[in-house]
Amino acid sequence: MKLSDIKKTYGTGGLMVPVLHGIDLEIEEGEFIAIMGPSGSGKSTLMNIIGFLDTPSSGNYELNSEQTGRVKQRELARLRNEHIGFVFQQFFLMPRLNALKNVESPLIYAGVPKRERRERARQMLEKVGLSDRMTHLPNELSGGQKQRVAIARALVNHPSIILADEPTGALDSKTSEQIMKLLVELNEEGRTVIIVTHEEEVASYTNRIITLHDGLITDDRRNLS
Amino acid sequence: MSIWESLKVAMSSIWGHKIRSILTMLGIIIGVGAVIIIVAIGEGAKNQIADDMFSTDENEIQLYYEQIFLEDDTEMMWVEEPEITDEDLAVLREVPGVQSVLGINQGWGMMVHNEEQSDMTITGVDEGYFAAKNIEMLEGRPFLARDNDSMNRVILIDSVTREKFFSDGEDVIGEIVEVSDNPYKVVGVYKSTIPEELLQYDDFASGEMLMPRALVSMMFGNREIESVSVIAESPEIVSETGQLTADALTEQIAPEDGMYISNDFTQYEEELNSYLTIITLFIGSIAGISLLVGGIGVMNIMLVSVTERTREIGLRKALGATRGRILLQFLIESVTLTSLGGLIGIGFAVAATFVASQLLPFEATISPLVVLIGFCFSAFIGIIFGILPANKASKLSPIEALRYE
Ligand SMILES: Nc1ncnc2c1ncn2[C@@H]1O[C@H](COP(=O)(O)OP(=O)(O)OP(=O)(O)O)[C@@H](O)[C@H]1O
Ligand SMILES: [Mg+2]
Repeated sequence: MKLSDIKKTYGTGGLMVPVLHGIDLEIEEGEFIAIMGPSGSGKSTLMNIIGFLDTPSSGNYELNSEQTGRVKQRELARLRNEHIGFVFQQFFLMPRLNALKNVESPLIYAGVPKRERRERARQMLEKVGLSDRMTHLPNELSGGQKQRVAIARALVNHPSIILADEPTGALDSKTSEQIMKLLVELNEEGRTVIIVTHEEEVASYTNRIITLHDGLITDDRRNLS
Repeated sequence: MSIWESLKVAMSSIWGHKIRSILTMLGIIIGVGAVIIIVAIGEGAKNQIADDMFSTDENEIQLYYEQIFLEDDTEMMWVEEPEITDEDLAVLREVPGVQSVLGINQGWGMMVHNEEQSDMTITGVDEGYFAAKNIEMLEGRPFLARDNDSMNRVILIDSVTREKFFSDGEDVIGEIVEVSDNPYKVVGVYKSTIPEELLQYDDFASGEMLMPRALVSMMFGNREIESVSVIAESPEIVSETGQLTADALTEQIAPEDGMYISNDFTQYEEELNSYLTIITLFIGSIAGISLLVGGIGVMNIMLVSVTERTREIGLRKALGATRGRILLQFLIESVTLTSLGGLIGIGFAVAATFVASQLLPFEATISPLVVLIGFCFSAFIGIIFGILPANKASKLSPIEALRYE
């Protein structure tokens, strides 16, 4: 994945808020990256652009040597569905659906038949260690369990990239550790994993740490530990 | 996501807000229910009128003389009706669509026999009457041409009269009975044509009798042909045939101060039906307004639902839902809501119509077509009033929606 001179400005007319001032970034398949930086520096904005939730105001974004600059809404939906798995700080599970159904939902939009959906969702929940919680509703699960359901949901479409915006932000340190170990495991299986975090400890699990300041990359270093 | 999948999501969201959903559906329930009930009662009333007053298997028409009053007449003068002769009737028999033409007159007399007495209606007929009116002879013979020609003092009594004046085993043929102090010979008994339900009334309780037309005319001082009865070949053409024969008779006789008209009930029937249709349409359109208000209620609730579920919409988009998918999902939800309301309304209408049929003097009839239209219309309202909220949902940007607090 290659981003060149990505700029993002919110608002139109009089009230323009420039957020990203020109991001150049190359990420190889299979990397495990942490994006750090102070609040408001544009980390989430960058993640949203990488994940096709948002489009840059200018600049180029290539995924697998494919230009994604001027594609239609419908195409963005497909790119999200096929290539990206999202994990959010606030989990964002659907409250009326049980764990299994939550994990199934991206497959519905991918047009996977019901029986196969069931099976794949079950496998993913087993993978994140929740085989005994499949029929529980989100409000019957702990924070860590909810995040694991969310990770299972992010994985179920076999995406090549996992984007996690502060995945441990709402969890205690012990649960954070479990979640990070799970993400390391997914990375070792070959997936590109990008996380946003404020915690050095969380960042230490990754191979590369990118620091943002006011919409610019100020540091990009390999983490050898 | 298949339609079925969307339908299940829609049902669970309706079920999740039971009270709200019921209240939202109320306008649709009342609207659809009211329309179906009103149409059912209106149809029932129409059918009843058609059955009762203008029974459609009737193919007989009476012709009447109507005097025309000129506007400059200072005094209204009743003029004698013109005489109608057998030649005139023969002319009417040539009119297309006519099966037979009968000249009839009426008399009333006190019949006394076997120490019973009763006022009787006497109809003066000729020999053609029996075949034309399908009179069923039970005993004896009908009238013959010579009965009229030679004014034979003969009489036919109906089965009701026989029962009243004679005992079961008693031989009536050849009996002499007294009517208004004159003796007549009974030559036959025919099956009464008085409808069952009228027999309880005094005027009909003693039955009726037939006499040769010429005899009635002589004994009671009537004209020989007082009224003309036309029997059409089929009930469908009864109205036109009545018109044609009335005109033909007017032309044949060429009266100076009047004309012949037929008692055309179908005209009244049409008028009455059009009144009923207007009333049905009027009340129906009030119910239609209820549907409109119901539709706006649905739109309102769907807009609330879109706002409440902003984050869910954002999430679904992040997971790969396209605009079309989101639009379809909300549209299916509003259509499910209104169709369900429609179904409940239909259910209520069927129950209410059943109850109404017990209370009303006629049976209200629900036609399947009206039910189908009611259902389709409620679904249609769901589409119309669901478009705006569904479109709003589909246009939400995923990040905005996910940020939504
Ligand atoms: N829709 C928007 N309209 C206007 N400004 C926005 C919008 N979204 C984000 N911003 C602004 O962009 C800047 C960067 O936001 P972003 O969410 O990317 O920061 P962040 O680095 O993720 O911060 P945090 O660590 O607090 O999550 C902020 O100043 C924010 O106010
Ligand atoms: Mg952020």
